[in-house]
Amino acid sequence: MNTKVSEIDKKPKHIGGSVLPARGEPFLWVMGGTLAIGISMIIGFLVLIFWNGLVTFFPKPIHVLTLKDGSLLAGEPIREEYYKPGKEQLEMLDAATREHIKRAQGFASRTLYHTGNFDLYNEDYRWVSDYEVAKTTLPAHVFFIERVEWGPFIGFPESLRAGSEIISKASVSYGLLNAQHHEAVERREQILRIERSDIGKINRRIESERLALRRAALKHGENSNEYRKVSAKYEERIAALQGEYDKLRKEAESIKESDSQYEITLRDVNGLEKTLPLSQVVRLYPANGLTSFRKLGVYASRWLEFLTREPREANTEGGVMPAIFGTFVMTVLMALAVAPFGVIAALYLREYARQGHLVSAIRICVNNLAGVPSIVYGVFGLGFFAYIVGATIDELFFPERLPNPTFGTGGVLWASLTLALLTAPVVIVATEEALAAVPQSMREGSLACGASKWQTIRYVVLPKAMPGIMTGLILAMARGAGEVAPLMLVGVVKIAPELPVDGFFPYIHLERSFMHLGFHIYDVGFQSRNSEAAKPMVFVTTLLLITLVAIMNTTAIHIRNRLKKKYYVGHF
Amino acid sequence: MKKAKRSVLIADRVADHTITIGGILVIVAVLAIMVFLIQQALPLFKAGHVTSRVAYDLDAGSEPVAAMAMDEHKTFAVVLLTDGNVIAVHAKTGTRLSSAAADFQGKEITSSATTSDRSSMALGFSDGTIRLARIDFPSAVIPSSELPAGLHKLDDRDLTDGSSVYSRVPGNQYRHISTEIRMEDPLAVSESGKPIVALDCNAGGEAERQTRAFVAVDSNGLATLNTAYGSLNLLTGETRTTVEQTRLPQIPGGVELHAVALTPASGMVLIAGKNGDVYRYNTSDTNAPVLAETTRVLPEGVDLTVFGFLLGGQSLVVGGTDGSLNIFFLLDRDAANTTDGRMLLRTREFERGGSSFVRFDPSPQGKSFAIAEASGALKVIHGTSQKTLMSFTPDSGVAEYRRILLAPRLDGLMAVGSDGRAHFWEFSVPHPETTFGALFRKVWYEGHPEPTFTWQSSAATDEYESKFSLVPLIFGTIKAAFYSLLFAIPIAILGAIYTSEFVHHRMRSVIKPAMEMMVSLPSVVLGFVAALVLAPIVETWIAAVILAFFVIPLALITTAYLWQLLPLRIALRLEGVPKFCLISLTVIAATYGAYRMGPVFEDLFFAGDFKSWLNGSRGSPEPFLFLLFMPVSLIAIGLLASRLRGSRRGDRPEARVHTRAGRIRPAMVDIVRWLVMLMGAALCSYGISRMLGSLGLDARGSLVDTYVQRNTLVVGFAMGFAVIPVIYTIAEDALNSVPEHLRAASLACGATRWQTAIHVVLPTAISGVFSAVMIGMGRAVGETMIVVMSAGNTPIMDINVFNGLRALSATIAVELPEAVKNGTLYRILFLAGLVLFSMTFVINTVAELVRIRFRKRAMQL
Repeated sequence: MNTKVSEIDKKPKHIGGSVLPARGEPFLWVMGGTLAIGISMIIGFLVLIFWNGLVTFFPKPIHVLTLKDGSLLAGEPIREEYYKPGKEQLEMLDAATREHIKRAQGFASRTLYHTGNFDLYNEDYRWVSDYEVAKTTLPAHVFFIERVEWGPFIGFPESLRAGSEIISKASVSYGLLNAQHHEAVERREQILRIERSDIGKINRRIESERLALRRAALKHGENSNEYRKVSAKYEERIAALQGEYDKLRKEAESIKESDSQYEITLRDVNGLEKTLPLSQVVRLYPANGLTSFRKLGVYASRWLEFLTREPREANTEGGVMPAIFGTFVMTVLMALAVAPFGVIAALYLREYARQGHLVSAIRICVNNLAGVPSIVYGVFGLGFFAYIVGATIDELFFPERLPNPTFGTGGVLWASLTLALLTAPVVIVATEEALAAVPQSMREGSLACGASKWQTIRYVVLPKAMPGIMTGLILAMARGAGEVAPLMLVGVVKIAPELPVDGFFPYIHLERSFMHLGFHIYDVGFQSRNSEAAKPMVFVTTLLLITLVAIMNTTAIHIRNRLKKKYYVGHF
Repeated sequence: MKKAKRSVLIADRVADHTITIGGILVIVAVLAIMVFLIQQALPLFKAGHVTSRVAYDLDAGSEPVAAMAMDEHKTFAVVLLTDGNVIAVHAKTGTRLSSAAADFQGKEITSSATTSDRSSMALGFSDGTIRLARIDFPSAVIPSSELPAGLHKLDDRDLTDGSSVYSRVPGNQYRHISTEIRMEDPLAVSESGKPIVALDCNAGGEAERQTRAFVAVDSNGLATLNTAYGSLNLLTGETRTTVEQTRLPQIPGGVELHAVALTPASGMVLIAGKNGDVYRYNTSDTNAPVLAETTRVLPEGVDLTVFGFLLGGQSLVVGGTDGSLNIFFLLDRDAANTTDGRMLLRTREFERGGSSFVRFDPSPQGKSFAIAEASGALKVIHGTSQKTLMSFTPDSGVAEYRRILLAPRLDGLMAVGSDGRAHFWEFSVPHPETTFGALFRKVWYEGHPEPTFTWQSSAATDEYESKFSLVPLIFGTIKAAFYSLLFAIPIAILGAIYTSEFVHHRMRSVIKPAMEMMVSLPSVVLGFVAALVLAPIVETWIAAVILAFFVIPLALITTAYLWQLLPLRIALRLEGVPKFCLISLTVIAATYGAYRMGPVFEDLFFAGDFKSWLNGSRGSPEPFLFLLFMPVSLIAIGLLASRLRGSRRGDRPEARVHTRAGRIRPAMVDIVRWLVMLMGAALCSYGISRMLGSLGLDARGSLVDTYVQRNTLVVGFAMGFAVIPVIYTIAEDALNSVPEHLRAASLACGATRWQTAIHVVLPTAISGVFSAVMIGMGRAVGETMIVVMSAGNTPIMDINVFNGLRALSATIAVELPEAVKNGTLYRILFLAGLVLFSMTFVINTVAELVRIRFRKRAMQL
């Protein structure tokens, strides 16, 4: 290269200046520009997701604003933006502000505040234009209080009632609040444990007894002796279970009774008061008085809640554990379904079928199916798996539950089979390519040594093709994990009361509907009361989903590289 | 020779069979998707089929039939004769069941009418009175243990005690159905006591305060519109009926009356003479009815045989003695020569019958109706889709039917012949409203001024029909794919060429995997960002976004010309990463510039407010036309200039060698040339825009129109973002697989890298690039979540970039979970899935074939 340059320098004659058009510089720049646009779009997108996803849980300061009309407002600043005030809005302003906006070409800036206190004001987000604000302060003792219901409360703790003792404003400290709150949370957990898990267990047993009775009725008829026997037993068991149920109920009631002794009274900036049980508070902290370390603590506890808890408030708060779990179970089931079938189909196409026009036509079809829209697979999954196969299963095996469908509606099994079908072409194509890459000579060598065809495939071809197959499979899983459209038809739900895997026989409940991270994004972002309130949650979920998919993709590449090395060493 | 172990042989055999059978099964299963979709969608296009047919004697004498009724489960058929005799039979077997006769004190029924929902009827008598009546079928489900004794069997389902019927229903229960005929007191309607010759009635209001309107014409030709208000006394449980009567303007004398019709809200009364003359009264003000229109619905010399509304009172079915059958709508027309600006227009024409149609019965559910010919042939037709659902001919020759009746759920038809025989057909038509034409062609729906493509799948009431045109959805799909490709193709392909030909391989090894990772980015994420982040930003900064489309390319080209000023030595040294950084900086700077200049640009071009400019409320069309024609004229002038230069160069080949002048001067010349071209293009497009503007042409109203936040522009961005990595990866692969020796040869011949890329590499790889575009298109067509979330989902056919759309995929995703299994919407959505499948299958197959060809060619090189 260097020699070339010096040559050019020595004899510029041979490179005429007017060959400039031949260099196509402007076109080159346009091309480079498109690439730059593409790359900056990707970077911008990732930065947007990561930044918003990461800062969401970080405790923000609380501003207390005094507006020019004299009213008070407290809230976390969320974001600022420029906007164009409407004509009526402009007319209401004083001349100086109007002049100022006019100079800025009709734009004014405003800030979105998360004001909380939805139960008091019926709004929890508010845009405040900069010209409205008279004064901004950051009082140290203003608290951010996350509640189980109604979203957060922003205000001051006024008093605390612990049993008969009332702790007044002066002596309510953060430490005391924290200690009391900790105890209250334990009580709440205890109540939840009894109500959900213990009472849930009893309900499940009652339900299974009822189904057994119904099964007996369907099998022997209601007038038979068998039925009477079962029925008598049923009554007896139900009575026993009812007793247990009442006991637990009473226990829960007594804890609730003692829990209601602990109450906190809050006051917002405008002096409105609100009293609520301390156990209804999820988290509380003095937003402006936190040390950096404490802030990190709040941040970490929010992430922990997000990753391990169940959602609250129509999914816009709390955690996404069921969605993570649902995504995971669905993807694993899908991989289990697609791997053997995809590999068998590819083996057939590459090793067994006679290569001819028919096989190449099939190959084109399979390639094509990789490009068929996912929603079409969803339609197929609903119509075929759920409504035809599932309905048949219900009639044969679960007649006692009809007309409530068991398998005859969307569920995790049908969702994973649908996605298996959707990703089968990906696996087939990848496996075929991997098989084709195994040199013919290796097969011939193996066969020449007296190995049978299956032995050759089992011990020579498949191990050699393994990296390619694994890559295909993991890419299929990455695609499956991020797919939402078909799932909307075959079993994903907004809130699943039960996980598809739990501690009750038969442990894996393939017929249950499930939650999914991708659908969670759609649902929270688009079906919730206030998209502004839902946005932070959506960003965090998005971050989680993207990370999941990226990890799978990187793993695919990593495994491919490692297996490649391993088998190269093993075979040569 | 050593023999192979038995176990090895068995394993081999087993594997052989498993893999062959398994492999074929998997492939068949995958291919079965299409077959399954077709199988699910096919019933949409099928007519109905008969499930049973019976005929029996009714023993009804020769009295005309005044009214007929049937319950929802097709258990009872009740026939009311004009002399007040009531014949109740078990519909499926013809077994006579006892029922009380109505006592009319010797008066004859001279005319009768039933409300469109069949909840009540009006009977007109020879003495000029009218009685409102109901035939009800009270039913209750009882467990089998409560079944009374002494029942006898009617058929395998039904038992009877002589007057009521017990039908077995699933779950070991019985449904007890009986008949109940309730007559209200006579109301005197005709002042002169003349017989009522024509009658029509309608019910409205709520259960506590029901109103029934009826219009009656006596033999003197006196027409009255009556509204009966029934008020339920909550204490005594009695209903009191008060009647308000309004006289309609007198119809001209000498008109022989055929029928009268009343719309549901009593807004209009139609009186039809036998000769086909129709008098339309506008009765929206019940106190002052006016004769709004007098028209003919049949050609001269043809007499009227059928005249009545379909459910909803908007479609008027008219049949004549010439065998014609038409539907008329009342529509607003400028040309209407009537007092209210509306007129009756023929909108649908049905196939002529062999003889004239004489009996007519509208379905109380949907827009179907039954019709009988004078020859005895019967048909069930859907009014909107014009599909003949069923046609029957009785075995015995029937001269004429006294009356026909459609079963309430459109699953049976009973006809009583003049010979006293009743014919009863049971049939099943699961999808009466769908035909190929209804799904893919323009349909003239009730209340619409003209035939349209409409998708409105959810029906609020029985009277409102669902509209299932797939065309707006296909249009939406194509529109979204078109705009996203318009955005994606240049970026992806030019980016791919740049990556494969002009970028250092180390940089490529970073960019390529990053792009590949973006392929598997979940689209729900893109949809969310597009709808909740991008859409509001684009809405606020729309002028800046439009400006960016112009500023970025201009900035890039201008910087390129400036770059040419650099001495070659430095330019070559900075080739690669520094140059790419500069390019990126230029793009960023241009974007920022567009953002800053957006408001100024908006002031200059769009009168300060883009959205109100779009609505047409301010500003002139020229500036936008100028922008539109700017790129076109620039390209035209550029081509022209290079053409001229090329021919001049051909004359004087030595002119290329500007030697000593070095690099600066030709670069300066180039810049000047570029500026001149730019000015020329600006002048040219200014001229064009002024000319078109003065001709009154305006892009507003077609290409651009009212702005909605979730619009096609946003969809284009988001879906473009999803498609770019796909196209980019495949196109880059194709360009990269062009053998290195071709490049080397071209460069060795003295071509520049630009010339090599454009004239050697690109043509070789063009089929691969084409297949990349096709695959990208396939993905854009089928993409679901992005369109669900960011397209607004309005099923309109509008090319306006700033309006929303509704794609096939989004419709399926949103509506299928709520669709009733095996219902019409369910099957139509399967059909939509099939259409989507076929579209992508064709696109992908083309791409695949092209790619195979390309692979072969690349191998040969």
